[in-house]
Amino acid sequence: MAERVIGPPVLVGIGLGAADLLLAGLLGLLALLSLLILIAPVVVVLLTSFSTSAALRFPPPGLTLHWYAELLNPVSSGFIHVAALHSVIVATIASCLATALATAAALAIARSGGRAARIADNLFMTPLILPGIAFGLAALMFVAWLRLPNSLALIALGHTVVIAPFVLRTAGASIAQLDPTLFEASDSLGASRWFAFRRVIFPLIRPGVAAGAFLAFVSSLDNVPVSLFLGSARTDMLPIRMWGMMESTLDVRVAAVSGLLVVFAFLVLLLMERAIGFARQLAQ
Amino acid sequence: MMLRRRALLACSLAAPALLTRRASAAGNVTAAIYPGPWEEAYRAIVAPALKSDAGIDVAFEPLFAVDEIAKVRAARGNPPFDVMVLDPGPRASGIDFELYEPFDGAKLKNASKVPTGLIDKYGAAVAAQVVGIAYNPKKVAKPSGWPDLFKPDFVTHLGLTGLQTTFGTMCIIEIAKAFGGSDTDIEPAFAAIKKALPQVAAVASPAALPGLFQQGQVDLMYINTQTVTTLKSRGVDVEFVVPDTGASAFVTTMHITKGSQHVPEAYAYIDAVLATPIQDKLANKPYYLTPVNKDVDPGADVPMKSVDEIGKFVTYDWQKINLQRAKWIDRFNKEVAK
Amino acid sequence: MNETRRAVLLAAPLGLAQVAFFLAPLLILAATSFATDERLRGASLQGWSEFAGDPFNLRALLDTMKLGAATVVATACLALPLALLHLVGGPGLRRLILIVSVLPLLTSVVVRSFAWIAILGRDGVIAQASVALGVTSTPLVLLQTEPGLILALTQIEMPLMLLPLLSTLGRLDPALLDASAVLGASLARTLRCVVLPAALPGLFAGATLVFASSSTAFISQSVIGGGRLVYLPSLLWQQAMVIFNWPQAAAIALTLMLSVLLVVTALNATGRRLHG
Repeated sequence: MAERVIGPPVLVGIGLGAADLLLAGLLGLLALLSLLILIAPVVVVLLTSFSTSAALRFPPPGLTLHWYAELLNPVSSGFIHVAALHSVIVATIASCLATALATAAALAIARSGGRAARIADNLFMTPLILPGIAFGLAALMFVAWLRLPNSLALIALGHTVVIAPFVLRTAGASIAQLDPTLFEASDSLGASRWFAFRRVIFPLIRPGVAAGAFLAFVSSLDNVPVSLFLGSARTDMLPIRMWGMMESTLDVRVAAVSGLLVVFAFLVLLLMERAIGFARQLAQ
Repeated sequence: MMLRRRALLACSLAAPALLTRRASAAGNVTAAIYPGPWEEAYRAIVAPALKSDAGIDVAFEPLFAVDEIAKVRAARGNPPFDVMVLDPGPRASGIDFELYEPFDGAKLKNASKVPTGLIDKYGAAVAAQVVGIAYNPKKVAKPSGWPDLFKPDFVTHLGLTGLQTTFGTMCIIEIAKAFGGSDTDIEPAFAAIKKALPQVAAVASPAALPGLFQQGQVDLMYINTQTVTTLKSRGVDVEFVVPDTGASAFVTTMHITKGSQHVPEAYAYIDAVLATPIQDKLANKPYYLTPVNKDVDPGADVPMKSVDEIGKFVTYDWQKINLQRAKWIDRFNKEVAK
Repeated sequence: MNETRRAVLLAAPLGLAQVAFFLAPLLILAATSFATDERLRGASLQGWSEFAGDPFNLRALLDTMKLGAATVVATACLALPLALLHLVGGPGLRRLILIVSVLPLLTSVVVRSFAWIAILGRDGVIAQASVALGVTSTPLVLLQTEPGLILALTQIEMPLMLLPLLSTLGRLDPALLDASAVLGASLARTLRCVVLPAALPGLFAGATLVFASSSTAFISQSVIGGGRLVYLPSLLWQQAMVIFNWPQAAAIALTLMLSVLLVVTALNATGRRLHG
């Protein structure tokens, strides 16, 4: 794939008339505003996590690492650690399952084409579109009707269905970029389908699948509706615990948790950017 | 290869255990508990005491009262927890929906420590809550009663909340009474609220109010002493005011869920909660949970010397109120909607 | 094994998972909406009639749809310039834009709402700035107002609009832009005739996701919007968890779902027609 290089020369080439300058300026301003709006809340959260005040107030009166120290202390924050562990376990299981199921489905859809494939694609994407809160309530009713006990496994299954669309989208985009002759070539050379997938196709779509898996993982970690309705005492989940901390105990550690999550996810993002050019995967 | 396979086997055996933990052994009880100070307090004080005195492990499920009722109803006879902790409104709902095991106060060793009338065939009171007005003394003058909230100097700082919670319902009834209504006719409250709407600082869910107070969006609200103590402990400027018409109080009760498989353990748990040393620790810093045990001092912020005085506070007929609550909640929505 | 059967086998696991954990719960939800109570003991239209019979609820439905539409417009207006910047930027700027656009997804929705209270509130960043900059004489408080809510939702939903836009614009052939420049077209003309048509599929995909997400964003709507802005998700919650009227709660849930589905289908159809 040729590297796209569109740079300032295009602007110069377009000819900077007065109207053009104005338009470019306006667009630039809007873009800047956009960036500001995207970053501002994250900055607020991070700054609050260093606050010397015990109240969730912004701007913080002073800065300290106290809340992070508190957070890492297993005696005072043990219950947060448990909730975080649960969320990570569920997110790992759900994203692995979702990746496997959605990649297979994406392959099926890409190879079939036609109306049936498009309908299937739309159907598989519906969990992304339907209201999480409605689904959460439906899940609760369903689980109650079946008299199933609460468990992390159940929550993981609920999450899987809800986050699969992320992988479906990125894996599908990756597969669509593949040269169709690849499939024919491996077929005609006598390779089994599984071999072809494992050695030829998967390495090529791995970046796209990984990008989707990352989005799915993060989405599961942050999922509130399913965890809210299906969670319970023994299956305490991080976002629910954080909600309680924010509203009931007004605990500033919740900002520290969020800070840690941002830093962790940011690091993973950078790593993925190094490894697979994550940025390019998302913009495929 | 061998090592890897064995590791895999070990993982796959551990996974189901990790994924489907459930209390089914004897000496276990699962209790619903209010999130926040309640949960922290009970984990720190009640759980260890129960374990060392009776050898019972307690698992806590943090839920608000209304959510407990919803979950038990959804679970249809196979309840996710053995003990519920409820405020009067949801308690009355639980009675209507028949969600409790019949409660026998005689089974509690500490029953005599609790004022008469606070243990009945549905459950036992475990804490008291006093409800009134909270304000930020640095930003607002001290209000003397409910009508003050709607005066021009105060209303721009006021945070309103609806009838989803017990304290919200009580406060709106008190506002109604201050303007000529009663506990069955709260029209005057709606009239006052409607007039105040263009100027109020915020209208929010009960759980969101403390956060808005912290952030300075509201400086005046109706709330319970529990929240005031929590805010104070976080360094927020807040004071509690007993309205001139009197403070309202209610008791929080514990009930054994119908269909529970751990009834004896549930009684032991409730008994532990009512024990004098436990109630004393819960009443002190940093939890400040108002006790029902007659031998324990309620604490400085609570406007009563001992819980015997709870009879002096304004009380309500919750079964009568519950009949109207759904309608009132609906009405509040409609009144405050822009 | 023939192609179709292989395809079905590959898609089956996800399909089965969806039927079991998505479709089945929705069927129970639908059944509950036609029941007398949450135990499905009898059939009744009460849930639906109580909900649909009250004009207040219908207005809430309309307001919810309008909120979604407003958020789509706001995110489109902000995401498009950012996407254009991405288009003309160097690799460093491009990477920055992508990482920044994924950022909202990395902060918990719970904590994000608190952050917006800090920004939009009476003592918040915007209020203090508006007085300091002399824009208004009294502090501009956007908390618990619809514009404030739309602003917060814009940040929260921006990735959903930006990522598809970046994806489609990324496929734009740079030669077209060069050609347009060489042929003497102004910036406005190039944007209108070359860039926007290319961006359209991304815009529609983004619009679908943003509409669905913002109209159903329960936490943000209640925490940032407050009690005076009434949308369907909060009515759903109230009926389900405060009043325990599950048949009506189920009716509200289904109405929300069907409305969103209707708008999304219309968007998809329009998008397909415009560039089909």
